[in-house]
Amino acid sequence: MQSAPKPETALDLYGDAVFLPVVTSCVEKSARAFGMDDTGSLSLTLAAEEIFSYLCRFVVPHRPVRIVCRTGGYYVDVEFLFPARDFDMRAFNITACLSTDDETCLEETGLLIASRMVDRFKFSEHDNFLRLLLTKERDYPDPFSDAPPLPSALEEFVVRVPDAEEIKAVVGLIMAGEESYGIPHGLRSPGRLVDMVASGDYQVAVAADRASHIGGAIAWHREGTGMVECYGPYVFNQRSETEMARTLMDHCLGAIARQDVRGLINRHPTPHLPREYFEELGSAFQCGTDCVPVELAAYYRQLEEDPGSTVWSHPDLKDFLEDQYRRLILPREIKDSQYAGEESSPFSVLSAEFYRTRQRVTLRPVWWGTDSEKTVGEHVKTLTKEGISFIFFEMDLGRAWHCHFTPSLLNNGFEPRFVLPYAGRGDLVVFQCMRGASFS
Amino acid sequence: MTSWSPERLLPDYIKNFEAYVPSKPDPELMKLYGCPHLHRLNNNENALGPPPESQEALRCFPQKKAAIYPSGDAYYLRCKLGERFGMSPDQFLVGNGANEVISFVIKAFCEQGDNIITADKTFAVYEWVAQFSGFEARLVPLKDFGFDDQAMLAQTDARTKILFVCNPNNPTGTYWDSERLLNFLDAIDGRWVVVIDEAYAEFVEQEDFPNCMALIPRYPNLVIFRTFSKMFGLAGLRIGYLAGSAEVVDLIRRTCIVYSVNTMAQVAALAAVNADDHIVRTRKMVRDGKAFLKTELNRIGLPFLMGEGNYVMIKLPMSDTLAYRKLMTRGVMVRTMTGFRFPNYIRVTVSAMEAMEAFVAAMKEIL
Repeated sequence: MQSAPKPETALDLYGDAVFLPVVTSCVEKSARAFGMDDTGSLSLTLAAEEIFSYLCRFVVPHRPVRIVCRTGGYYVDVEFLFPARDFDMRAFNITACLSTDDETCLEETGLLIASRMVDRFKFSEHDNFLRLLLTKERDYPDPFSDAPPLPSALEEFVVRVPDAEEIKAVVGLIMAGEESYGIPHGLRSPGRLVDMVASGDYQVAVAADRASHIGGAIAWHREGTGMVECYGPYVFNQRSETEMARTLMDHCLGAIARQDVRGLINRHPTPHLPREYFEELGSAFQCGTDCVPVELAAYYRQLEEDPGSTVWSHPDLKDFLEDQYRRLILPREIKDSQYAGEESSPFSVLSAEFYRTRQRVTLRPVWWGTDSEKTVGEHVKTLTKEGISFIFFEMDLGRAWHCHFTPSLLNNGFEPRFVLPYAGRGDLVVFQCMRGASFS
Repeated sequence: MTSWSPERLLPDYIKNFEAYVPSKPDPELMKLYGCPHLHRLNNNENALGPPPESQEALRCFPQKKAAIYPSGDAYYLRCKLGERFGMSPDQFLVGNGANEVISFVIKAFCEQGDNIITADKTFAVYEWVAQFSGFEARLVPLKDFGFDDQAMLAQTDARTKILFVCNPNNPTGTYWDSERLLNFLDAIDGRWVVVIDEAYAEFVEQEDFPNCMALIPRYPNLVIFRTFSKMFGLAGLRIGYLAGSAEVVDLIRRTCIVYSVNTMAQVAALAAVNADDHIVRTRKMVRDGKAFLKTELNRIGLPFLMGEGNYVMIKLPMSDTLAYRKLMTRGVMVRTMTGFRFPNYIRVTVSAMEAMEAFVAAMKEIL
């Protein structure tokens, strides 16, 4: 599953406002060259302007910054890269309030403003540098309003890669047949899915007969490091639905079996998902129809033999982990890690990945400090004000210091929902904020 | 802005390549899974160990010889193999396990743009070596769990260099009989190299199983892989070899890594070459184990594939990786088959009866 090389433009410059017109011009012209429409190009340009100004003022004044514009066909990314040294990391909290005089600053920080203009916004820390990623997706027309006729039952079928027209037909059949909330974003627009497949980011397989009548489909894409997420299998009006669903599942597994993938997850289970292929990790509340919360189970399977590992845990999380590892028969040695008054940073930093159309934000630890409870609380408050209903927090049990956030999360209404084996340096615990939400 | 980003230096064909991560040592696994004992039924090792002749050779191995470099091309072993098969010693190349000789052949014949052809559900190393060397691996779906000769021929083109056939196939145990292999070689007509991997050939008792060594004079493009890891119980010493016409072996020798096979491995393998009694004993153990498994698996109601070789493939009503974990907690280690593109199957080594009984008992518990 190798994505095709993506066209890009890049600027290497310094964090100086004198370069602002260069940045905005580059981003705008790149976005247009990559096929983004006027509205999308403008949004991305304004977001980039906000970010660059912010970096120049507070983060990397007169320091090197690399800006890369990249397209995957269905989206345009703007990536800001800069060395991770000698500045106050607090500036990267979405809640960062850098002007104490400004009462509105909690709602008007540069990062928050930029996040409103794009579809996805992500801040992450790597070994030697920091990365801010803005993503704006191209607009696609809605699926055709007329539901396609259901195919008749196929006498025989093979599973194969579909062409563009067949991909569009698959989207039509999924949209006509599935509960709306169960359909992932990527599968909601025919044109978008065609472009996602063309970019190499998504893979689709269909079960079809010799006359190219489609009886079923499955889609999958890489999710983070070493993980693949699959959607489906979808089976449309077939007599041999169980056999077809298993054949589609086998095809997907065969395609990723010898790649650098440790696990396969399905967070939008369909009725045809062959449950015996998977283990149920747990569940989380997601944005359903009209964004009414709906609880969806997360199904998972390992692709490799589990060699066992050591994970870190705060004592307050240990019971949960022991229960999960016992239930899932995951061989883990749990080691305690908690703050014991040692000299530490007074400030915490969280990265926030926005997915506004789904009212979802995923928080991840960048830095732990003794103010973690306040930082987490401010994030919840700010995000709730932003209309974000589904707030997740991912804790990597391969990093001992991540565990220090445990009490702060529990005291701010987060609950551990499930463990994702090997989804980070170690296992990931997915928390969801349940405070104030009408989840039931 | 300069930052150390080694991934940028990688060729594209390496970037998404999965490194093979071997199992942890048994004591570590036993600790993590909480099992006081472990039956290793995952690697098709021989529970009888090496032949007595090899054991004696290892026992007598002078420790001081550890200071001396080995024979760089396993001279005495090649001579012995030549005697055994009625061939010249120069028709053999010995490697650090059969995996190494796979690399020799691919490196010798393939260049950028070339392809190799093999099956989609077979021993993975042909596919891996080709891909991490930057060559295309064309994977032909199995037909009725066996290599599909016609489909393989249909995949050949001007850039094809090597066709790999695992005979008997690991993990399905299917095999090509003499007639089918001869027809295939005739159809190839010397245009490409044909590799027959016979890692499990010594386990096969079928009359119609081909004698590939005898075919070499007639088919100079034929290359045969053999190993001392399976039947001869020397997996821990890593030693295998290839055989072919003097002409083709001479070409492959150009990419052969010399001195890669240590002296102890050469000494033990030398003693194993004529260990025919060991083959008889091992075959009996495998026959008994298969008969037991056949009865028990039918009783449990699990579908299985029991072909040639010292292994059985079993289809489970659950994820094979979950079954692996459940079995591990009961002291039984099997091989999951998702990586072989057989999701929800496991492969079990046919071993001594005690291990077979432990496996069946554990299976009954986890279902």
